[in-house]
Amino acid sequence: MQSKARYLAGKIIELLLTLLVVSWLVFAAFSIIPGDTARVMLGPNASEAQVELLREEMGLNRPLLSRYGSWLLGLITFNPGTSYAYNVGVGELMAQRLPVTIGMSVIAMIMVILVSYPLAIISARKPGKLGDQICSVIGHILFAIPPYVASLLLILLAGSVFSLATVGNYVKPSEDFFGYVGCLLLPSFAIALPKIAMSFKFLRSSIIEQRTSDYVRTSKSHGLSDMKILIRHVLPNSNVSSITIISIILSDILGGSLIVEQVFNLPGLGRLLLSAISRRDFPLLSGIVFYLAFITVLLYFISDIAASLADPRIRLK
Amino acid sequence: MSRSRKTNPTAYRSPEASAFYTVGFILLGIVIAAFLVSLFWTPYAPDATDAASKLMAPCASHPFGTDNFGRDVLSRIMAASKYTIFISVAGVFFALLLGIISGIPAGYYGGITDRAVMLLGNSIMCFPGILLALVAVAVFGASVTNVIFALGLVFAPTFARVCRTGTMEIKELDYITHARVMGVGPVRLMTSHIFPNLIPQLLPATVIGLANMTLFESGMSYLGLGVQPPDASFGKMLADAQAYITVAPWLIVFPALMLIFYILGLYFISEGLRVTLAKGAKR
Repeated sequence: MQSKARYLAGKIIELLLTLLVVSWLVFAAFSIIPGDTARVMLGPNASEAQVELLREEMGLNRPLLSRYGSWLLGLITFNPGTSYAYNVGVGELMAQRLPVTIGMSVIAMIMVILVSYPLAIISARKPGKLGDQICSVIGHILFAIPPYVASLLLILLAGSVFSLATVGNYVKPSEDFFGYVGCLLLPSFAIALPKIAMSFKFLRSSIIEQRTSDYVRTSKSHGLSDMKILIRHVLPNSNVSSITIISIILSDILGGSLIVEQVFNLPGLGRLLLSAISRRDFPLLSGIVFYLAFITVLLYFISDIAASLADPRIRLK
Repeated sequence: MSRSRKTNPTAYRSPEASAFYTVGFILLGIVIAAFLVSLFWTPYAPDATDAASKLMAPCASHPFGTDNFGRDVLSRIMAASKYTIFISVAGVFFALLLGIISGIPAGYYGGITDRAVMLLGNSIMCFPGILLALVAVAVFGASVTNVIFALGLVFAPTFARVCRTGTMEIKELDYITHARVMGVGPVRLMTSHIFPNLIPQLLPATVIGLANMTLFESGMSYLGLGVQPPDASFGKMLADAQAYITVAPWLIVFPALMLIFYILGLYFISEGLRVTLAKGAKR
């Protein structure tokens, strides 16, 4: 019990420290921007007095530390300032776009699990045989296709072979939930493909490793069927390592969705991010970047805790 | 590594590894050949427009077809391979440099140095995908140099980890203790006793790094935040081709294939290296 509490406390301290460093990195990146932000926003025709006024309004004249303090406070209280370009709260803008990004990530993750588990189990049954080798080669190829290239190829395939035209029609979940899921299927599949390959590879080698261990041989000699050994013993043990892999995959999926949204013309966080970049909208940009990193840090934290619950030996390392 | 090669020639004859190497080097060779030839000759000038031959399907005079400005796709692909190769090599070199000078001391000294380096590295790794590189380019402007520095920074923690773990293992070995007793200083220990023995571990990481960096670079170029026009890059070519996806699929297929060949070739070589090194370690 004590080791559990100590492990948790250590992990929480690590989480907070990481978040602190992440906030430094984001803030530093936006504080060393070359050029005068107020001048950039108003354009070259604005008078010096106007620029000065805006600078004062945005707090650019205050010392760096006080700016960092109020910026961080805003982030923690989920009130991260107002976007220059949209003149709307950053939180509100992000909340509008979140359904697309989160929806795509969830659907992609479900696809990864649904496809990679059965394939890995089948492949690992007879490692080195033809089926296994075919799966592995396809896995390598899928792994090498960037998600946005996969999207383009899928659009090409869907358009010319199946004559489907689902690209670019976003349906809000509040209007038609199935339409919403439907329009996210193809982009989610494009993001999921390389991750299916990744998850397959890790699961397969983890299952093969477990199957050659002593306890499996013992169970077999006790007369348990292969299926029972797999479900009761091998899979739970492989799950421990796959918890860590899943958190990495989720973070990659989140990053991949940023680009794929652009291909499918979906109004998600990625589009918002790009528009913030092109308009040099730094409050919006720093908000998106920080919260996306925040989600990832949280994912890693949860996966560490989950792995330690599944395998108490991790806590002793 | 060189010792095990002499004493253990069979380690290099694993059929699995040689299959990976063969396919990997063929795929990579196609891209590198395109790059090398493009330095001296391309069928047409990569950015020469021709109003008379817009969106031509692949034919004898334009084997890979032409784009919406009548530019020859083959010539543009050849020119684009230059940026793909250059950015991935330069970026990985920069990342390796950062990773080595932070990872080896972190593993060697341990304690607070280790914690500080790992905390910084983990924090950088918390930005999903290309987010951090996009921010860096957003702040400093899109150019080839900035893309290299940004991606180098993003990939540095991966190499730092490899160096740190490797150093922690190696520093416990007898020959390091022996060298230390002989009066070898920490800097010399790290540079000429530990670093050379990290190379077998760094090699596959470097090859995978090249592939992953290409994934990121082409994604950034696709978004218009990487290689800037009129210079050709695979990502930008694919972005421009998207508008013509139904009328001119060759604009998508050929750049995509070249990109995949490069990345897949590197992955296969790294798999081969992994098999070879694992076999070498077993013996």
